[in-house]
This record gives sequence, structure tokens and C-alpha cells, in this order.
Amino acid sequence: MKDLALLAVDVAKASGASYGDIRIIETKVENISTKNGKVGSYETIEDIGFGVRVIASGSWGFASSDDLSRDAIEATSRQAVRTALASSKLKDKEIMLSPEGAHVAKWSTPYDIDPFKVPLDKKLSFLLQVDEALRRVKGLTISECSLGFAREKQIYASTEGSFIEQELLHSGGGIVAFAVGQGDVQRRSFPSSEGHYASGGYEIVEKLGLLDNCERVGEEAVALLSADECPSGKRDIILDGAQLCLQIHESIGHPSELDRVLGTEANYAGTSYLSLDRHKKLQLGSEYVTIVADSTLPGGLATVGYDDEGVGAQKWELVSKGLFVGYLTSREFADVCGDKRSRGCMRADGWNRIPLVRMTNIGLAPGTWNLESLIADTRDGILMFTNKSWSIDQMRYNFQFSTEIAWEIKNGKRGRMLKNPNYQGISTEFWSSCDAVCGQSEWFPWGIINCGKGQPGQIARMTHGAAPARFRNVNVGVTR
Amino acid sequence: MEIAKAEAILKKALGFSRRAYEFEASIGGGSHSLTRFANSVIHQNVSETRYQLSARNLFGKKTGRAVTNKFSDDDIASAVGTSETVARAQPDIPELLPLPGPQSYSPVDAFDAETAAFSPDARADAVKKAVGLCRKNGFQAAGYFSTSSGSIGGYGEISPLAMVNSNGLFASHCGTEASFSITAMADDSSGWAQATSWRVSDIDAPALASIAIEKAKRSSKPKAIEPGKYTVILEPAAVAELLMYMSWLGFGALQVQEGRSFMSGKIGQRLFGQNVSIYDDVYDDLLRGRPFDCEGTPVQRVVIAENGVIQGPIYDRMTAAKENRQSTGHGLPVPNTQGPQPASIVMKAEKPVPLAKLVSSVERCILVTRFWYVNVVDPMKVVLTGMTRDGTFLVEKGKITTGIRNFRFNQNVIELLNNIEAMSVPVRSGPCVVPGLLVTGFNFSSGTEF
Repeated sequence: MKDLALLAVDVAKASGASYGDIRIIETKVENISTKNGKVGSYETIEDIGFGVRVIASGSWGFASSDDLSRDAIEATSRQAVRTALASSKLKDKEIMLSPEGAHVAKWSTPYDIDPFKVPLDKKLSFLLQVDEALRRVKGLTISECSLGFAREKQIYASTEGSFIEQELLHSGGGIVAFAVGQGDVQRRSFPSSEGHYASGGYEIVEKLGLLDNCERVGEEAVALLSADECPSGKRDIILDGAQLCLQIHESIGHPSELDRVLGTEANYAGTSYLSLDRHKKLQLGSEYVTIVADSTLPGGLATVGYDDEGVGAQKWELVSKGLFVGYLTSREFADVCGDKRSRGCMRADGWNRIPLVRMTNIGLAPGTWNLESLIADTRDGILMFTNKSWSIDQMRYNFQFSTEIAWEIKNGKRGRMLKNPNYQGISTEFWSSCDAVCGQSEWFPWGIINCGKGQPGQIARMTHGAAPARFRNVNVGVTR
Repeated sequence: MEIAKAEAILKKALGFSRRAYEFEASIGGGSHSLTRFANSVIHQNVSETRYQLSARNLFGKKTGRAVTNKFSDDDIASAVGTSETVARAQPDIPELLPLPGPQSYSPVDAFDAETAAFSPDARADAVKKAVGLCRKNGFQAAGYFSTSSGSIGGYGEISPLAMVNSNGLFASHCGTEASFSITAMADDSSGWAQATSWRVSDIDAPALASIAIEKAKRSSKPKAIEPGKYTVILEPAAVAELLMYMSWLGFGALQVQEGRSFMSGKIGQRLFGQNVSIYDDVYDDLLRGRPFDCEGTPVQRVVIAENGVIQGPIYDRMTAAKENRQSTGHGLPVPNTQGPQPASIVMKAEKPVPLAKLVSSVERCILVTRFWYVNVVDPMKVVLTGMTRDGTFLVEKGKITTGIRNFRFNQNVIELLNNIEAMSVPVRSGPCVVPGLLVTGFNFSSGTEF
């Protein structure tokens, strides 16, 4: 493969590119699900191809193919240059990249058990065992259980002399219980609404605790059918880590992407309230809010050795004690916010997509509380668990989230179960209302596997670590 | 890849399968190119060509599938072998059906050679004209121009172009698509327009830019008004967004059979206003979709609701067998947990008028260009939330008087379909053909900062 990779960058250069890189990507995916005690779906996908990205005449071009012959490599490289020349018909400046050394390296996800070597019948019998445990719950209507594994072998080479080989491995799974009745449908899931995925091997599945949680999850789904509706009004709320994961993702993660701050997603995903003039000036949260980006996080779904334009993995702060201090950047945009080097956030969804600035692993730094003491300290509040629905405006101010389940807190004690809990706010006001974050022992790295961005669309994965946290005086029960 | 070449690969796969098994194979993919612009320059310009072979073995009540994008004889044989190995490892699926025999399909003319051959230069030229208009009017422009042939979806997902099975079934369809979207932007306002067609010659980029510019001009210095229940005019893009979510939540037979669709137990009842008729129709002249589904079943035009009365859902083979009826041709690859999926939502307009006439007929209302980040609040009641975006206006005495700040809505779509006072001429918006709607009592629940 190395000769093909070097051929691509040589042809790009000879065709007039001032910069060029190629990513040859080979993936293997296995997804298994059961539903109501039967195999729901099974797919195994093997895929290989390459994408060539160039700068020619000061503009970007990209072309890709699944044909790895020398002829196709050459033709695709030339096509990328032709596309860049077409792009240059409408430009306002020459694309310049921040300096990055030439890296020759290999990096692989650490793992204990190769999930693709675990026999299919073992995985299926485990899932069916979990499914059966879920269906033992009286009143449950639908059980769904899933496992998923993905391996990506990457080769990256550039005209600057980098040659990087990486092998990324993700594994995970989860359960969902539905109860249907009285004109209503309620769901509970575990470990979170999409299960839990992390970088690593089959050992992640073995540690999920799916069987141990079936009874509780199923019973909660059934109980929700007859639970009281979440009240409306202003309340203090405590969010579990699984919900905070998405709150961080939508209201701090996406707004920190420097490409969207600069307008490159304006027609689709939108722009951002974290504009350049607010960098290092905006107090977006309280002193308890510190948000850390970390491409080196063990087990993180965005944990890599190098990003998709050959920049090494890094760890830095986006928000420091409430002050907005950092962006997610690329080589093209790093200097715009005063950085000399890219933070290494460029990732692509396979060989047929260009790298975009994507969230890496982004977490809320742990505080000093624990959940029980936080509940005891809350006079009139709502304790919400597990995301169910999410929506936010295109500048990332106004959000509305629903969770699967909640409990009322009265005078420091957990009270009645509540169904259809939801809350709405403005990002900066919301994070400023945070007055307590739980500690390291309750901090967990929650995986996201379906983050969409770009045209054509791309899906990325990342991890958001969080422990439960409290927010004061929030609008709840906002859908009526 | 020509259909003839796809057929040859599929027959090769069929040849590698064992006679003791039933076997199905499909090829999907094609070419997709997209020129993207922002801040009035082209900043991304991409193209891809790729195909996937999906091989499925069926052995009694067991089935297995393997997917590859490698097409050497060895790779094809390997995929077929993997699907067999997977099938053998599976427990029985009692409801699994044998494969169908040969079917007859209504051909859909959806391939346009000019669209398939459209070059990066041609896309750049069209973008340059549209962006030039924005610049001339003092606006920044962002958007994309895409052209494609085959069956690659917006997120790269692949569906069948051609399929065969061991019972003699063969189906093929190759269409083209062109799509242009533009946002005209100023510091405090934006306007948006989009068009999609199977034929690139239907795309008028400067005309779409002009619409976006006009909306951006009219929405400058937006006023903040209080959230609450308002009469609204929803332009077709906003209507399409709501109906797509409704269709995903409740148009499929599996959701109805599981009791979690809004139409569960209500088929034959009037749920919507008498002026509401909704169909799933790949044969609509503006949509021209694929005439077979992932099971090889011919797609039927399905009446979801007629004059407000729920007629029934769409079916795949498994959900149809459960009710002893025929599939409507909305099946996904077997097996799956989702059940049949809607493809092409069409809403008929009663006494349609031009959109401008809807505006001129209203004393006071809010005009919504499009919605953003819609999501589900209550799946059975079809309560959705989301934001307005890129052109939200106050209409007074039949005229747009000012742009207003954006709102979040929380709206029951069933109630909305009972509150329609007038409709505009249906147009294509994404995979839908829908009218604009004049609706009373639309619930805006909160505002935002812009």
C-alpha cells in the first residue's frame, strides 16, 4: 500500500498541487441486534478505498475511489487537482496550512480481545440471553439489544513527507426496553440511549453489565406508563452524566468548532455563539464549569495517534472555570484564533469524505460533590436521567432536551417518578447556572456514535466524560 | 457502473451460491459530486464513485448477509461464503419468508445524461453566478450544488441499483439527482432557498439566490416578539420537515402492529381535517423514485390518509404476511428491526393558490421559511420540537412587514393537520412534494437570541 500512497501524492504534485495527501482506509464492521427474543438484524461490512485531497491554485479539491489500481490512483489524484482548479474560480485568498512536521509513525487502539475473533454464535447467544432477561419483566412490550464493532485501518501520506499508519478499534452495545399502553409509549435504555461504545475490544462488552441491569431498566419502562407528567415551571435540575454528555456535545462542543465559527457550515449545521471576538473574554459558565478536549483519552471514541491531516493527538481546555478559552481547530484555521499549530481535530467519515473539524473527546472536569449529597442539598428539584430527545438552534443558543426518566426532589429527598421530563434554556445562561459538579468516582466517559455534520453528510464518533451536575432555576416541562 | 455490468456481477455472485440455499444479491452505489461554498468562496469540492455488493443467503428460517465493495471473483465468492457462514450461525427467525419469484415493475424514467455528466467546472460556474448576486446585494453566500447518478444517499448510505435472487427475480433502476441550496447572510439576518430535481436543467441557481437575497433583506433588523400560539404560513420546506418526521414515527406497519404509531387502532377514523390527503408515491412526477424495494417487491402508491381519514400504513413482506396481505414495496434489507420505511411523501393540496396569495389573504400571521433541528417530543401524539431559521417574518394586513427573531416550537402535528385553512401549490422539498400551509394555533414556545 505504501507505494500506492506515495504514487498518489507524487501525481498530485506533478499535476500542479502545492499540497496533497491521501488516506487509504480499510474498514470492517459487524453490527448485531436482537428484538423480542429473535435476531433483529445482522450485518458484516468490509470496505476499502482512498481519498486524495489537494490544494492547487490556492483552493481545495478532493476525489475518491474504491479502485486501488495504480491507474485509478493516478486518475483520481489528477481529478482532485482538476476539482481544485474549478474551486479556484471562486476564492478570496490562497489556502495556507499551519506548519506541521513530517511524521512517520504507527499507532493502534489498545485492546485485550479482538471482537472479530469472538465467534458469532457466542455474541448471539449472549445477546439473546440479555434479551430474555429483559423480556422477563411483566408488562414490557418490546426488547431490543445490540452489539457493534468497527475496525478502521488507515494509511496517511502527504506531500510534506508524513507517512502514518493507524488501526482504530471500537466496540460496544446496549439495551432498550419499550412499554406501550394507555395511548403512550415509554422507553428506558442502558447504559445510555445509544448503548455505550468506546475504543477497545470485546472486553468493553464484557464490562457493560447489560445482564445486571435488565430487570431495573424493564421495570422503569413499565412504571413510566403510569408515572406523573413532569411539572412545568422553574426548577433546580440535576442531570446524570448520560444526559450531560449530549448537553456538552450540543451547547459547547459544536459551538467550539472553529470552521463553523468562521461560517463554513452556515448553510447546514449553522454558525456559533462562540465568535472570535468572544475568545478568552466570554464567561459562558460558572466557576464550576471546566471543559477539556482530549484526543488522548484512554477509551475515547475520538482517541487517535494523529488526526486525518497528520497532526498529533493533544489535550487542552475549551472552557476554564467558565471562561471560554479554546477552539477545536485544523491546519487551515488554527492561526485565525492565534494558535501556531492545529489542535488536530480534522477527521473524515471514511475514504470517500474530506476531513472536517470534528469534536474530539470533550469532557466536563469532575468537581467535588457526590450525587447523594447533591440530592440532599436540593430543596425543590428534578433529577433527570438518560437523553431521549435533543434540539438546538443553528447558533447553539436555544436548546431543548428530553430525558427518559426523572424523579422529583423535595426537601433533599428523591420522591415520585416523573415521565416525559424535559428542559429548555439558553446555553450561556444554563452553564452559568451550574453550581455543583460531582467528583471523579461518578465521572464516566459516555460515547456518542452518530454525530452528523457536513455536506455531503458525515458521521463521527466521540466521547464526552461527565459526572452528575446541578443547574439552578431552569425551565422544565416546556412542551405544553 | 452500467446496469449490465452490475447484472454480470450479481449473476457471478449467484453462481457462487449453493443450490441448497436461497440466495439474493444486490448492488448499490454510483457517483456523487458536491461543490460547497461559504463566505462567498468555494471551500469544499468533492466527488466519489463507489459501489457495494450485498450478498444474502437464506437457509430455512435462517439468513445471513455480507457486504463488500471489492469485486474480484475471489472477493465476491468470499462475500457469498461469509453470508452462508453467518446464516448457519443464526438461530431461526420464525417469521422469515422465502424469497419472492420474478416480479414485474413499472419503469420510472429518472436518468438524465446531462446530470450524470455535470462537471466541477459547470457547478463552479453556476455557484459563481449565484454568489455574485449575493455579493452585489451586500450579502455573504453559503450553500452547495450537488449532482449524482445512482443510489448514494446524503450521508453516503447505499441502497440497491440492481438485485437478483435464486428464484429468478431481477430488478434495476438508475436515477440522477441535482440539488442546489443557498443561504444569503448579513450580520443580523439570513434567507434561504433550495431546489432538488432528477434533472440538473431544472435547477436555476440565480433564481434561488434571488429568493434567498429577498428573504435576507426582509429579515434584517429582526424584531423580538413574544412566543405563543400564532396563525402561521409554513412554506413547503417547513411542511416537508414535519411530515417526514410524522412518516418516520407512524407510517410503517410495524409501528402500527406494535401499537406505537399515531394510527394504531385508528385506521378508518378521521384524524386530520377533511382537506388533508397524504400519500407515499415514488411515481410522483417530481420525485421519480426507485420502483422496487430492498426485498425486490414492486413499490405501490399508498394512500396514507384521504380527506382526513386514515387509510393505513405501508408494508414490507413480513408485516404484510402478519395481516395476510401484500407488501406495498417499502421493505428494508432483511432482517431488520425497523420495519417498512416511507420513501416519498406527497401531500395533495385542496384548492391550491400561489404562496404569495396565502400571504396576501391573511390579516396577521408569522411566515416560516424552514425549520431546523426538529426532534420528537411525543411519538404517539406526534409532538415535535424545533427552531425556525433563515427567514421568519411577521405578516400584517396581507404584507410582510418585518423580520422577527427565531422561535422554538412545540407542536402536535395531528392538531396542525386539523387546523389548515389554505394551501399553496405543492412543490418538491427533499423527498417530499408538499404545499405551503396556512395554519391556525401554531405553538411557538420560546425565543432565541437572533
